[in-house]
Amino acid sequence: MTLSQRLYRASAWAFPAIAVAVALILSFLIDPYLAFLGASWVIFGLLGLSLDIVWGRGGFLSLGQTAFFGLGGYLGAIAAVNLGPLIGNTLLPTLPIAALIGGLCAGVLGSLIFFARMGPLQATILSYTFTLLLWSVTQSLKFTVGAAVVGGDNGMSGIPGMVIGFGEGARPLAPNGVFAVCVIVAALAYFATLALMRSTFGRVVDCIRLDIQKTELLGHDVRRVQVANMAWAGAVAGLAGGLFALWSNYLNPSLFSVQEALLPPIYVLVGGLGTLAGPFVGALAIGGLSFWLGGGAAGGQTTLILGVVLVLLVLFLRNGILGALDQLWRRFLPDPNAAARDAGEVRINVNDLDLILREAEAQVGPAKPMATDQAFKQFGGVIPVNKVSRSFVPGRPMALIGPNGAGKSSYLKTCVGVYQPEGGQVTIGDTDVTHAPIFCRVRLGMGVKNQKPQVFGALSVYDNLWTAAYARTRDKAKASDVAGRILAMLGMTAQSGVEAQALSHGQQQWLDIGMVLCVAPRVVLLDEPAAGMTNKETRELSLLVRTLARHTTVVVVEHDMEFVRTLEGHVTVLHQGEVFAEGDIDSLRADERVLDIYLGRRQHV
Amino acid sequence: MFKLVGATGGYGKTTIIRDVSLEVRHGEVVALLGRNGVGKSTLMRFASGSIPAMAGHVEIDGKVAPTAPEKRARLGLGYVPQGRFVFPRMTVAENIAVAAAATGHDHKAAVAAALADFPMLKPKLDDLAGGLSGGQQQVLALARALATQPRILLLDEPTEGVQPSIIDEMAGILKRINTERGIAILVAEQDLDFCLSIAGRAYVMEKGRIRMEVDRDTLRADTALQQDLLGV
Amino acid sequence: MEADFLATVLLSSLSSASILLIATIGLAVVFGLMGVINLAHGEFLMIGAYTALTATQAGVPYLLSIPIAVAVTMAIGALVEVLIISRLYGRIFDTMLATWGISIAFYQLAVLTFGTVSPGIGMPQISVQIGDYSLALYPLLMNVVALLMLGFVYLLMTRSVYGMKARASIQVPEMARAIGISSSRVNTLTFALGCGLAGFAGAVLLPIVPATPSMGFAFVIKAFLTVVVAGPVTLTGSALAAIGLGGGASVTASFLTSVAGDAFFFIVTALLLWRFPLGISARWRRKL
Repeated sequence: MTLSQRLYRASAWAFPAIAVAVALILSFLIDPYLAFLGASWVIFGLLGLSLDIVWGRGGFLSLGQTAFFGLGGYLGAIAAVNLGPLIGNTLLPTLPIAALIGGLCAGVLGSLIFFARMGPLQATILSYTFTLLLWSVTQSLKFTVGAAVVGGDNGMSGIPGMVIGFGEGARPLAPNGVFAVCVIVAALAYFATLALMRSTFGRVVDCIRLDIQKTELLGHDVRRVQVANMAWAGAVAGLAGGLFALWSNYLNPSLFSVQEALLPPIYVLVGGLGTLAGPFVGALAIGGLSFWLGGGAAGGQTTLILGVVLVLLVLFLRNGILGALDQLWRRFLPDPNAAARDAGEVRINVNDLDLILREAEAQVGPAKPMATDQAFKQFGGVIPVNKVSRSFVPGRPMALIGPNGAGKSSYLKTCVGVYQPEGGQVTIGDTDVTHAPIFCRVRLGMGVKNQKPQVFGALSVYDNLWTAAYARTRDKAKASDVAGRILAMLGMTAQSGVEAQALSHGQQQWLDIGMVLCVAPRVVLLDEPAAGMTNKETRELSLLVRTLARHTTVVVVEHDMEFVRTLEGHVTVLHQGEVFAEGDIDSLRADERVLDIYLGRRQHV
Repeated sequence: MFKLVGATGGYGKTTIIRDVSLEVRHGEVVALLGRNGVGKSTLMRFASGSIPAMAGHVEIDGKVAPTAPEKRARLGLGYVPQGRFVFPRMTVAENIAVAAAATGHDHKAAVAAALADFPMLKPKLDDLAGGLSGGQQQVLALARALATQPRILLLDEPTEGVQPSIIDEMAGILKRINTERGIAILVAEQDLDFCLSIAGRAYVMEKGRIRMEVDRDTLRADTALQQDLLGV
Repeated sequence: MEADFLATVLLSSLSSASILLIATIGLAVVFGLMGVINLAHGEFLMIGAYTALTATQAGVPYLLSIPIAVAVTMAIGALVEVLIISRLYGRIFDTMLATWGISIAFYQLAVLTFGTVSPGIGMPQISVQIGDYSLALYPLLMNVVALLMLGFVYLLMTRSVYGMKARASIQVPEMARAIGISSSRVNTLTFALGCGLAGFAGAVLLPIVPATPSMGFAFVIKAFLTVVVAGPVTLTGSALAAIGLGGGASVTASFLTSVAGDAFFFIVTALLLWRFPLGISARWRRKL
């Protein structure tokens, strides 16, 4: 590996560490007024970081970050006013309370958003509404806590500055000291966040952004992870708010204003979405720009220029400053996706597969039957699943066929948990899962391969498999072992470092199947797995499904009759939401009714 | 009447098809075969104008076709993409009508004509297209392309996710519109049986290039070739 | 409580709801048909108001100034679409940020051109007597205007060939072009239409809401929340949401304080989003 490659890998901590060191040295050298302004840019960078955690990593554009920032500021300020005079130090009472309140509010708001399963736009708007609500309420909210007076639109004044000494003689820091404190606090928050995002928690957060349904199908309680991530981001925003209160010594409701709410997205976009360090760069760039413009370069037109700059940024610098640098740098590094085009053929090794499945069986128990009893689902007047009672058992593949619109997909979705049935029961093993969320079913042993390939595009092929294997084993070494063997079976060893999105459609299908194998499910549901495969690949798939069925329950929805025939399994025909016929494929081929509704008489083909 | 000359294209900086030339003559049905990922869909999108050409061009009636897909459509190029892409929040009737109107044909007559070709759409006429099942959407996508009154029809994986009886029906319809209306067809497919039933000859693709041109009888007879090129 | 008082409150609340709806329809068209959240919508409203104001000051009769305002906003809207929005389709949050940039730039331009205060044109002094109370006629007239606008847009989008093309272009742009629609031109027209509706709103509301550079901010937040609460069936959904949210807030405000009215608006929005996470019309089977 070249020096450039090594440096690239370490860039997320190496460059910020250098920047922190430089900033600390500068804190002794720069002019106090610049230090005073610089501190505010660091604070806004920290606010931007909080948004980057939920948006760049979590995939949810929150316009509530300034609300957590403001609430953290107000509550932190109340603590500072009351406790500061007692102990001298103002950081100790302010910052923890500010972070706590920010995290708490973000957690509550996040629970509302994520557990209600809001659409992305609605979620953004709800967070915005929360900020606007605080804006209109705080205008007229006046109350007193001890020595602290919150005065509605008059704001709250008399907040003490930053004091790090203790006791009566402790004095507030000079601007240069305040700047240094802000840099240190922001650095701690940044590196803690970086560590969190590089842990398995961070991996799950990334997976949720890339494909939330697939993440849940790996058995993760995605909504709890989302809420936790949001709470962490809220805590960072609150922390920034606490620093802001001590820096400015005065707060007012404009913190919750519309203009303020849209500042963090700008910092993040300017710096680079999802980079974590980007928001600091963005805040510095915007702060520096308005300082320079406001200082006489453009007089009163700062707003106009910022507006135009924002438009230009969105149009021409889509990945922000750090994103653009990243792209530039990567041009000089070897392309990790170069290997994508010479992937080998998939060859299912029955012995290997047997071994993996046996291990899984020893670890998570024997195959489980899945059954529905009188399952009933309706949308308005349409009844796609009409009292279907079916039991799927291990031993041989169970195929579901039927005309388009017969309710196969809806039935499968009812089994998976995407749809909640209006009546009847769904069971996995002995457990009633009729109303259980998807991830609970997965933890009970359900594995699902949907019609379209679901892979985490930005992760490497190996990381995709590893993440799936880890979801089951919860053991990094075991996960590596399983992922490595499945990788070899898929013939993708040379592609392990390739990003999944660079693979062709067919390769993604196989990668997705590989991920399902990594989870080693006790019941496997496959929705049209042979779609878009060549005949040779279909044969390999058939071998895989038959091997799988010896160890687990396998349900396959399929249109490719040749494929269904090679499975030599039990076939159920659905028609108009009901079980229409069943048996093996040859007996169904002889059934006139089935020919009429589904198989056709091959007059033209 | 329809030609691809030196077609080279892909996505972003990645080139997927290189220097592909092929021809579909008047009233002919030609298949485009090949394994997954050899660039069949990319070639179809190149032909329809949905992706920009890195090099090469498309000829219709011996003249170089304009680059904009809407202009090609008005010159008589019909396109049914892989994955159907019907307009989900428009009714079945509107899906057909808008295609006719956009190419300057009477939209009411087009809907009536489509119903004559595809009676199965009749009960669904006022339903939103997004609510149709996969097979019905495929049929609608075909009906929509025909509403533009094309002279050459590009079909990308028309049988994917469609039940056998509708595949059979579709083959019948394609044969009929080919013989009765003289519409030339270029069809990219995985399903060899389907292709052999409608196409007179085929191009076989490999790694983004045309590997060979073969007629139906040769392909049908030569199982070694099927094995080698198509992984059948 | 007197019946005449109640009737007055209800009628004026209905007018407030209609005013909200008038200000919202353009946004609903642009969002519902194009999937674009136009945060500069309020500024187009402002441009419409200033155009009408400038025209009347120059001696043009008020009624004639309205089409002028529509033409001016449509032209500016078309320009913005071609230069900026057309490059951002499918990137909803990027469009949001870009249009926000446009919005603050237009705001600042208005401050520079017109200053922060400007004269109103005065409302026609005709009123209606209900019991002991009298209501100005012009706001009541807005109910009719809202209905007409709603009907116009609905018919245009569902019955005309242009409407079909507009919907097709934004639902699957690549496919729309493949069947012969010049999507980019259709999209420019649709965006311009949305802006023109905003301009119309600004002009027609001028007697009630005087033109100021910041008038856009006041309208856009509520218009925006209305559209999002409405969900995918934008036009019908927006009409209902405007009546529920705008009317409800106005009733609350007339019994309590204007802050309570705002709080009502935001809290009900939050509750509706919580109850209908994809908007109130997510499960409706309608076109528009």
